[in-house]
Amino acid sequence: MSIHQSLFNYINESSLIIQVTWIMSAFFMVVIIPLTFYFRYLRKHLRKQERTVALYEQKYESYLINYLYSGNEQEIISPEQQVIINQLKRSTSESYKRKILISVLIKLKNEISGEIAESIQTLYFHSGLMQYALNRLNHKKWYVIAKGIRELKQFHIKEAYDQVILHINHPRREVRKEMQLYMVSLFHFEGLKFLELLETPLSEWDQIQLLGVLERLESKNISNIKLWLRSNNKSVVFFALKLAKIYNQFECKEEIINLLNHINKKVRLESIQVLNYLDVIEAKEILKENIEKRTLEEQIAFFKMMENLYEKSDESFIINFIHSEVFEIKVSSLKILKILNKDKFTKLKVEFPDPDFLKIINFLENN
Amino acid sequence: MNTNKKVLIAEDNSVFLLLLKFRLQKEGYTILTATNGKEAIDLIEDQEPHIILTDIMMPFISGLELISYVRNKLKRSTPIIVFSAAGQEEIVLKAFDLGATDFMSKPLSPNELIIRVKKLLR
Repeated sequence: MSIHQSLFNYINESSLIIQVTWIMSAFFMVVIIPLTFYFRYLRKHLRKQERTVALYEQKYESYLINYLYSGNEQEIISPEQQVIINQLKRSTSESYKRKILISVLIKLKNEISGEIAESIQTLYFHSGLMQYALNRLNHKKWYVIAKGIRELKQFHIKEAYDQVILHINHPRREVRKEMQLYMVSLFHFEGLKFLELLETPLSEWDQIQLLGVLERLESKNISNIKLWLRSNNKSVVFFALKLAKIYNQFECKEEIINLLNHINKKVRLESIQVLNYLDVIEAKEILKENIEKRTLEEQIAFFKMMENLYEKSDESFIINFIHSEVFEIKVSSLKILKILNKDKFTKLKVEFPDPDFLKIINFLENN
Repeated sequence: MNTNKKVLIAEDNSVFLLLLKFRLQKEGYTILTATNGKEAIDLIEDQEPHIILTDIMMPFISGLELISYVRNKLKRSTPIIVFSAAGQEEIVLKAFDLGATDFMSKPLSPNELIIRVKKLLR
């Protein structure tokens, strides 16, 4: 009997569990062996690729250093530098090598400032890399456009403004985000003018990123934000309100006061908070006139504002709210009354002996 | 020229390291380079550089650990200039507490670095 025959007989005569185990083992063997070979091949391939990248990186790093130190003060590009540029130009025609070269340039550009950083920018321009990035802006795929804009931002290519602004209302938010960061990173507060043309929403995350870039700027000379406060784009109004608060834009108080009657509740609420922050007393008087018609959140925000902007003349108004059904309003009113008329506040204990009310009075008295 | 002065640069960004190496070599310094904190410590022990320029974020041993090692373990007063990224003020203060001599915020100007190195080696 052959070995195959005896193995076959053995399996046939075995119990079901043994048979299943054999079948499973055979199946895994069939799967695992080719997979092992595939992974070995993949590892080898990746290592080879890594070595190639390292080799090109080294080559481009040395080109770059030679380029940076072969300049002279008389010419923008010295003959030695031109030779290096020509060598690099040959590499830039291949996307793989171009990617490595760009990563080397960015790696250095992020670390240095001054003449050398400018020199890298010149190299980026003359080696044709800028043209490749500009070409990306016309690509069909959104992520190619986004990468192109990011690259132009990293190399501070202000000349691409006209091509980049075209993507202001791109359907993909990633492209819009890159466009916005390009504007603000390169043109600072002036770059925010894109807000006038923005029709798509500016997400909270986009706003945080823009504020992050602005925060790092040395200059704090913010451009005129009045136009953005009047925008039809709700998210632009929110962003402008944030700017008004951060950069103390007291001169925009009229525009912010107008927002108290904005169609959007959140805008109205945010406006109250900003006006409170900017200590705009006129806003308090306007809100007093129709406070009861406003939403609960607005009313609470208004009383928070009153805590900050109270005047002696507010006493009679405040008295009307010390028994408000809304806890926050009641507490705010009593807080203000305590400051404006301590005697009247103390007498409340006798006048209104309700235990819950007394608890609030006692708490405020001791705090 | 400063040929007898040894400068150690510890920096994991290879192209930046190369740039600083070339720039300092032009000034006549002898340059020792390390791409991580461990290599830097070996070079400090073997070569005794006159000044150390180190990045804070490095593999294996960070710039802070490097400063601590030089000051506390080796008990050396070698000047140490620390490179930090923008927004790392707290780490820079920690570096000063550990004994850093000076710091430069990235992106940095190589020319300014040369001035500081010359001043500290004078």
